[in-house]
Amino acid sequence: MNNQIKLKVTDLIGSPLCISTEDGQKVFSKIEYFMKDGKQVTVSFENVTMLISLFLNVVIGQLYGSFSEEVIRALLKVEGLSSDDMELLKRVVDNAKKYYSNKKSYDEAWLEEDNNEE
Amino acid sequence: MKFNVPVIRSNYNGFDSIASITVKTKDVWLDSIELDFSTCSFFEANMTAPLYAVIAQLRDDLNDVSIVNVPLEVSTILRKNKFLNVFNQPDSPDTNQTTLPFKIFKLSAGDQFNDYLDIYLNGKGIPDMSEALTKRFRQSLFEIFLNATIHSQSGSGIFACGQFYPNKHRLDFTISDAGVGIRENVRKYTKKLQLDSCKAIEWAMTEGNTTKTDNQPGGLGLKLIKDFIQMNGGKFQIVSRYGYYEFSANNVSVQKMENDFPGTCINIEINTEDTSSYCLKSELQSEDIF
Repeated sequence: MNNQIKLKVTDLIGSPLCISTEDGQKVFSKIEYFMKDGKQVTVSFENVTMLISLFLNVVIGQLYGSFSEEVIRALLKVEGLSSDDMELLKRVVDNAKKYYSNKKSYDEAWLEEDNNEE
Repeated sequence: MKFNVPVIRSNYNGFDSIASITVKTKDVWLDSIELDFSTCSFFEANMTAPLYAVIAQLRDDLNDVSIVNVPLEVSTILRKNKFLNVFNQPDSPDTNQTTLPFKIFKLSAGDQFNDYLDIYLNGKGIPDMSEALTKRFRQSLFEIFLNATIHSQSGSGIFACGQFYPNKHRLDFTISDAGVGIRENVRKYTKKLQLDSCKAIEWAMTEGNTTKTDNQPGGLGLKLIKDFIQMNGGKFQIVSRYGYYEFSANNVSVQKMENDFPGTCINIEINTEDTSSYCLKSELQSEDIF
């Protein structure tokens, strides 16, 4: 079997709209499956007309909960994204790294607050 | 029962007046409720989205809601944006095509929302905006829409409406739900049951904070919109239960409202003459990202 897999997002979700978490989960499961098998995966966003952070959190961000940064760097590529969407992806990835490396601390500062009842 | 609807604009007073209807009709059910517009000399069309959140809750309690005594000028606004259709009153043609009409979407209607924007953002009265601006604006609307579908926990749907104001070069778009509000989700997630609405909104506006509990990262959507609005010079408002949050390039304010708004509403106002590129100069590659 080929060691390089190309996943076309629009084919997998049957739509050019990359917006819902359900669709994102479908793509994530495929990527995760092949990466666990040590395959190099290229995720193609060709023909996507709408892409939001919510979708990328599930498809790409969530991978940082399953794989190390080294493995992701070695096995994952994306293509077909405009330069501004690449910036969006970068923001999603940075956020995901923070989330999985230090999940608890997000809440700590706020847990010390005590507010009035409404 | 009759309730007066005053002048409504997209500001603190406008949202608070709308929320006050809910407070006054608390515990009313199986009744007849008239919203009397006789003292309403102006109603910003996009504010029909939060008004409907109040009406949805009244209808949920099996009340018969009607809209009465609407002055001619306001009636023209509410007919053009098809709001009065919901009350079986006829609409009027929007000859200037500056309106994105009032519409109720099911929670799963992301595709229909896309079709709606395709049609009405291309109305001849909506100015040609730069490609980058159009894209960021649409992305922002989808982030808000999808957030509402995930967090509102409301069967009433999502209420959307937009209006272009040519003299100000501003396009307002408002998305509302009749759901549990940001406060309930943040209270549940942080286990701080006394957290107030303003604090809950501030928590949700902090990058990386999300109430999703499925072990997925999140909490970027609102921050991306804030960054976009900062560059665009527009305005961004969140109203959720007692919380009122307003952000613009020059000002951030969080205020407690007098009245409890029954859900969450987000209004985004953009400067349509903006020509920013919204892109860094350097091109990122896959290896720069992971």
